[in-house]
Amino acid sequence: MIRTITTTVALAALLAIGPMTSGRQPLASPAEGEAAPAKLPDPPANGEMGFVVSYFIQPVIQGPDACPQGTSPKLRDAYLAKQTPEERARLMLKENENELSRSWQADTFGPGGTNICSQPDMFPNRSELRLVQSRFSWGLDLDGDSNTRESKGRASKADTCEHDSFQTPTGEQGIDNQEYRVMGCTLEWRGVDGVAGDQEIGMRQFHASGEWTQVILLRGVNSLVRDDHVDVIYANTPDRPTADSTGKFLPGSSFSVSDRAPRNRNVLNGRIDNGVLTTDPQDILLTQTWGQGGARDIRGNRTKYDFRKGRMRLTFQPDGSLTGILGGYRPVFDVIQSPALGGAGSAVVAGIDCAAELNTLRKYADGIRDPKTGKCSGVSSAIRIAAIPAFVNDVPSARTAAR
Amino acid sequence: MIAPRVFRAAALALATCGSLAAGVAAVDTPAGNSAPAPSAQAVTAPQFEIVAMRRITEAQYRNSIADIFGPDVRVAGRFEPVVRPVHELIASGAREASISPAGLEQFDAMARGIAAQVFDEAHRSQFAESQPADAGKPDASCAAKVLTPLGRLLFRRPLTGAERDFYVKLASDSAAQTGSFYKGLELSLSAMLDSPNFLYVVETSEPDPANPGALRLDNYTRASRLGFMLWNSTPNEALLQAAEQGKLSDPAALSGIVGRMVNSPRFEQGLRAFFSDMLLFEKFDELAKDPVIYPYFNQDVAKALPEQTLRTITAHLLGKGGDYRALFTTPNTFMNRSLGPLYQVPVHKSSGWEPYQFAPGDDRAGLLGQAGFLSIYSHSGRSSPTLRGRAIRELLMCQPVPNPPGNVNFTAVQDVHNKATPTARSRLSAHSTDEVCAGCHKITDPVGLSLERFDGIGAFRATENDTPIDSSGILDGLHFAGAAGLGKTLASSPDTTQCVSSRALQYATGLGSEDVSPWVENLDKQFAASGYGIRALFLKVVTMPETWQVKPTPVDPNQSLGGATKISFSGQRR
Repeated sequence: MIRTITTTVALAALLAIGPMTSGRQPLASPAEGEAAPAKLPDPPANGEMGFVVSYFIQPVIQGPDACPQGTSPKLRDAYLAKQTPEERARLMLKENENELSRSWQADTFGPGGTNICSQPDMFPNRSELRLVQSRFSWGLDLDGDSNTRESKGRASKADTCEHDSFQTPTGEQGIDNQEYRVMGCTLEWRGVDGVAGDQEIGMRQFHASGEWTQVILLRGVNSLVRDDHVDVIYANTPDRPTADSTGKFLPGSSFSVSDRAPRNRNVLNGRIDNGVLTTDPQDILLTQTWGQGGARDIRGNRTKYDFRKGRMRLTFQPDGSLTGILGGYRPVFDVIQSPALGGAGSAVVAGIDCAAELNTLRKYADGIRDPKTGKCSGVSSAIRIAAIPAFVNDVPSARTAAR
Repeated sequence: MIAPRVFRAAALALATCGSLAAGVAAVDTPAGNSAPAPSAQAVTAPQFEIVAMRRITEAQYRNSIADIFGPDVRVAGRFEPVVRPVHELIASGAREASISPAGLEQFDAMARGIAAQVFDEAHRSQFAESQPADAGKPDASCAAKVLTPLGRLLFRRPLTGAERDFYVKLASDSAAQTGSFYKGLELSLSAMLDSPNFLYVVETSEPDPANPGALRLDNYTRASRLGFMLWNSTPNEALLQAAEQGKLSDPAALSGIVGRMVNSPRFEQGLRAFFSDMLLFEKFDELAKDPVIYPYFNQDVAKALPEQTLRTITAHLLGKGGDYRALFTTPNTFMNRSLGPLYQVPVHKSSGWEPYQFAPGDDRAGLLGQAGFLSIYSHSGRSSPTLRGRAIRELLMCQPVPNPPGNVNFTAVQDVHNKATPTARSRLSAHSTDEVCAGCHKITDPVGLSLERFDGIGAFRATENDTPIDSSGILDGLHFAGAAGLGKTLASSPDTTQCVSSRALQYATGLGSEDVSPWVENLDKQFAASGYGIRALFLKVVTMPETWQVKPTPVDPNQSLGGATKISFSGQRR
C-alpha cells in the first residue's frame, strides 16, 4: 500500500514537471561575482528594504568539461551496463522489453518490500554517481580555506572534512559545493544539451505557484556603499506573490512574515560593502513545501531547507533587485529527500538511484562534522537567489521579543 | 424628456400561464373578507391610479429576498439588466424597463428556487406558523394565514381581498394536485415573486389635500421609495406600519422617519447603490485589460477597484460626515493586498481592507486619483484623456458631451508607438487638427489630460514612450496641474454640487434630469447650508413636497387603447 502511494506521488510530481520541458530556457549567466552597480542609490529614509525571492535554484555550469562521460546513468542503463555484451544486446531487443523492465526494476527492491528510495540506507553497496570533473562551480567559500578577507570568520577547517574546492568562472577560489560535485552530473540537475534540468524547471514552477514564498527584510540600512551592520530577516511567508501572465513575479507586492504554522524566520547579521550584502554564518531554516503542495503532500509537512552555518552574499542591482548566492551545509539526506519521499516511484518511473546518491553524498560530505567521530554528515551547498523589491511586514515586535 | 404618467384605471394584461398569472392588483379592499376566488383578470383590474412602475434592480431583488426570508435563502439566476438611458441613471431607466421573455424565464426559475427553500423542511417553520391538519391536503384557511403576511412584505402593501383569494386558491389547487400543502404554498409564493407587484415598484397616487385636484404619492408608495432609495431594499415592518398609519404623508413624521433612516448603518447600502448608479459602476462588470501591457491587472484587482472607491465615499461622507466636495481632494482611501502592487504601496493586513492615506503632495487625491475611475475610463491597452474628461463632465458635472460622429479617423490617437507623437497629449493634438473632432475634444481633453500620469489601469507613470508627461489641465478657464489640481478645481465648481443634487433627485423619483431641473437650485442651496453633507441632501430630497407630487401628464391617445392605458406584463404601455 505504501508503495502504491509513494509511486503515485512521484508520478504526479513528474507529470507536474513534464509539460514544462517544452519551455526550457538556456541557463542565465551568473549574477554573483558581478561588479556592483556604478552608482548605488541611497537607501530609504527608514532604512528598511523588503524583497521577495523570485529565483531559488542550485546553479549548474553547463559545458562539456563538467561531465565528460555524460550524466550519471539512469537505473535501466546502469543495469544494462552491468550485463555482458551479449546479454545486453538480447535485453535491448524490442521483444525483450518487458523482461528488461522487470529485471532492472527488480534490482531496485530489497527484502521485505524495501526499495532504494524509501530505504536508501539498506542499500549500501550501490555504485557511486559520476562526479563533476570541472574545477568550476558557483558557490561560497564556506570554510575559509581561500584565506581571503571575506572568508575570515567562516566555518573553520576543523569543522569540515577533507575535500577539494572549486573556483568560480569569475576567478574566486576556495568555493565549497560538494552537493554540486555529487549531484551536478545527474540528469535532473544538468538537463540535456545545455538547457536546464528538471530540478530547475520544477523549482521554477513550484516557486511561481506561490506554494512557498521567501522574503528578505533589511533593517538599519544606512548606505548601500558601506554599512557595517544590517539586520537581515530571511523568512517564509504564507502570502502568494503577484505574478504576470507568464508567472514572473511583479515588484511592489506586500507580504507578511509569519511565525505561526510551519514557517521560519531567520535573523542574520549582515554588512554591505560596495553594493554587496554579506551575512555572517548562522544556521538558516526555511520551509520547503514544494512538491504537490501544502498539507496534502508529505513533503509539504516534513521538509525544510536546513543550511548549517549558512551565509548569503547578495548584490544590489540597478533595477532595485538583489542577486547572489545562499550557501551552507545541508544534511546529506535532505538533498535526496524529495525522491526518497517519492519512494519506489522515483526509482521505477524516474530511474533515480536514491541509494547511490546518498552513498556518494556521504562519501563526499564536507560539513556538519561530528567532533567525536570526526565524520561529516553534511555537504556544502549553494543556491542562486534573485529577489525583487517588495513590502515586507515583519511579525509584531512584541511577539518577536516574547520568543 | 421623461414625465410621470398617470395611468387611469389601468387594466393590466398579464400572462396567464401557471405561476405568472397574478399581475398588478387594485388596493381597493383590505384583505380579510372572504370572497369567491377571482379570476386572474379580476385580480388585475385596479381601481386606483398608477403613476409609475419602476423595476427593481438585481441588488434590490437580492436585498429584498434576504430581508424578507433571511440571508441563507439563496438567489440563483441571471438578472436581465435595467438599461441605462443616455446621460441618465439606471434608476431613471427603471421607469421604462421591460422584462423580455427570456428574462422572465430567469425570474421564474429564481422564484421557484426561492419558494422551494422557503417552504423546505429547514425553513418552513419560520414562515408557516399555521400548520395544516393534514400536510397532504389543501387547507385554505391555513394557507391564507401564511400567504397574507408574506404577500404584504413582497408587494410592499397589504394584499387586496381579491389578491389574497387568488393566491390562496392557487395554493389549494396546487396542493390538491401535488398532494402536498407545502408544495401548494411553494407554487403560490413563486407566483407572487413573479408578479409585477414584486418585480416592479408600482407607484400609486391619492388626492393631495394641499392641492385640490392634484395627486400625490400614497403612503405605501412612499414606503417603497424610502426603502429602496435609502437602504436599497424593500420597506421593513416599521415603514409599512408607518404607511398604514398614514405617517409618511405627515411632513413632521416623515422627517423624523427619514432622519432615522439616513442615520442608520443601513444607509451605507443605499449610498453605495446611489454612487454605483451615478458613477456607472456597471462598467466594472466588463472591465478588461491587456495582460501584456498591464501585468498588474487581474481579476482580484478588478474586483477591488469599485470597492475601494465605495469605501472611500462611504467612509468620508458617512463615517466622517464629510463635505461632498472633499471627495475630490481627500488623501484618504483604503487598500487591500490586491491593490497594493498597482499603487506600489505597502499593505499590512494579509486579508481585508485597511485605511490608507496618501502622502502630502501625492497626486493621488480624491476619487479621480483612484485606479477605479482611471481604469474604467481608459481603453483596454491605453489611457484615454477623452473618456476621462467626458466622464468628469457627464458624471460629476452633469454636462452631457455629444457622441463622436460615425466617420472619425482614430488612427492618430491609437498609434501609441509613433515616435513623433509619444504622449497622449501630442496624439490628441494631432487628432484635433480635424475641425470635426476639435469641438468636442476641447470640452473633454484639457480636463482628462491632467490625469495622464496614470496609465490605463491607474498605475503611476512619469513618462510615456520615454517622454515626460505634461499633466497640466484646464477646466472652464481655470488652469491646474495633475489629479490633485483637477480635484481642487472640481471641488470649487458649483456644477459639482448641483450635479449630485440633481442626481439624488433623479435617483429618488426615477425622473430624468430635465424633469428635476426646476428643483435643483433650491436643493443645492439647502445642501450648501448643511455643509454639503450627504445625509442632509438625501433627507432634503425625500422631504421635499415636490418629490411626492404627481405631475399629471396627458396620455398620448395614440399610445393607449380606448382611452385607457394598458400595461402588459413587460411593463410597457400598449
